[in-house]
Amino acid sequence: MDSFALGRYVPLNSVIHRLDPRAKIGAMLIMLICIFVPTGFVGYGILFAAILSVVLMAKLSLNFVWKAMKPMLFMLVFLMIINILVLKTGVLLVDLFGLTIYSDAIFQTLFIAIRLMLMIMITTVLTATTKPLDLTLGIEDLLQPLTAFKVPSHEIAMMISIALRFIPTLIEETQRIMKAQASRGVDLKEGKMKEKIMAILSLIVPLFVSAFQRAEDLANAMEARGYAPGAKRTRYKQLKMRPADAVLLMGASALCGLMFVLWLWVL
Amino acid sequence: MPITLENLQHVYAANTPFSYAALNGVDLKITEGKITAIIGATGSGKSTLVQHLNALLLPTGGKLTILDRTITAEEKPQHLKSLRKQVGLVFQFPEYQLFEETVLKDVAFGPKNFGATEQEANHRAQEALKRVGLDASYFEKSPLDLSGGQKRRVAIAGILAMEPEVLVLDEPTAGLDPQGAQQMMALFCRFNREQKKTVLIVTHDMEHVLNYCDEVVVMKDGKLFTHQKVTDFFQELSLLKELNILPPAVVRMREMLNEKGFHIPSSTLTLSALAKEIRNEVKHHG
Repeated sequence: MDSFALGRYVPLNSVIHRLDPRAKIGAMLIMLICIFVPTGFVGYGILFAAILSVVLMAKLSLNFVWKAMKPMLFMLVFLMIINILVLKTGVLLVDLFGLTIYSDAIFQTLFIAIRLMLMIMITTVLTATTKPLDLTLGIEDLLQPLTAFKVPSHEIAMMISIALRFIPTLIEETQRIMKAQASRGVDLKEGKMKEKIMAILSLIVPLFVSAFQRAEDLANAMEARGYAPGAKRTRYKQLKMRPADAVLLMGASALCGLMFVLWLWVL
Repeated sequence: MPITLENLQHVYAANTPFSYAALNGVDLKITEGKITAIIGATGSGKSTLVQHLNALLLPTGGKLTILDRTITAEEKPQHLKSLRKQVGLVFQFPEYQLFEETVLKDVAFGPKNFGATEQEANHRAQEALKRVGLDASYFEKSPLDLSGGQKRRVAIAGILAMEPEVLVLDEPTAGLDPQGAQQMMALFCRFNREQKKTVLIVTHDMEHVLNYCDEVVVMKDGKLFTHQKVTDFFQELSLLKELNILPPAVVRMREMLNEKGFHIPSSTLTLSALAKEIRNEVKHHG
């Protein structure tokens, strides 16, 4: 579990780390739009260079970014195979026992792979440089305008932050229960089907029981401290936009503009 | 059937920025058929140490001999199940591992995993439950409906029913009321005396160490600090002070009396012996 990189915060001190979470979320959304502008290899090359420079500015190691991408590789390969076989436009390249591969399929599939990789890179930069709590504060602020449409922005943010907070706790709990059951002869790797089901049951039931117990305790503790969902509250941590945040947003917007120009007029 | 640790090392998350050496070379020989207490401050490596005893954790360096098995860092051991049957490990707050519909089924889960027949497992489960003080009226209850103390008894019965050769307990009395804790310790004592089996207990309670244990192992910063007989250990007050351990009440009382002019020998470690010494001195001076 210690090598799990996807979505993990990396406590470093860099320009990117210090940026306002709202600006980072905003820039990420703009970049995601960029990625979906069909600009071909030229555009993706520019985007890759831009994202790579942000990764380096955040002092993240390329190894870390690669590790974050790894769990997605399986899905990526799966998607690529499906795509290659399904798209049927362009020049016919291969015809093997009814399995046909067309030239457009190759390009489209490559683009999808590149898009996914770029997306993972961007989101990894966001989660690796922003504390989960700051992230939820940012989300709450960005959802604020939607309260006019009765969207419970604070509650959503609170739920996200509680969920994030308890991921490591639940992982720890799972490992603990696994060890305790292993001491009672549970073997998750070997055994017959029936034994395996029993083994998983012996893990899931205690995990659920303790998760519900924790949820109840937490709810009580929050209520005891006077937490009321709809109430107006102040924040200990005030988010503040700085010039650097404006630079980030403008940079992302400029890049997005460039992509549209490339798409509509140049290519 | 001894338990021997030779230069045992364990590093968590080796080769990552989060790497942490929990055990840095422990040499230890556990005396067979005795109750050994393992004490030490939080983070001194106690829990890591005991998890090696049934191979839940494998050493990253050194060698470990348990009963007839030898485990080294170099080779990946096979068939750990037989070892886990012989060394019963009770985790901290074991009540969280209960999951079956009834108490009896839950206790029978361990023996069944280790190859006992349904009937045999049930029989052993009933015996174990009686041993921890839960009668037949509890057998068909859901373990989730019991009180905290009862749940812990069920969990411990679950290990006892496996009939291990060595019983290892990680803070078995944490969070129990004093009376429940004493009953629990008495239970382990009986297990040790009646079946002549080795018991290891990780604890923070010096009263328990003094009253129930034969030997004491002190861990400090991932190393073995000292290993001695309990009766010797509580006579070395300077050592206790160095380790920042509050001595048991009897020892504290003896020291207070000695400060006021008594001359009670440091081998006095029980309440009745202390009372006798006080009577003698009062008689002589009175």
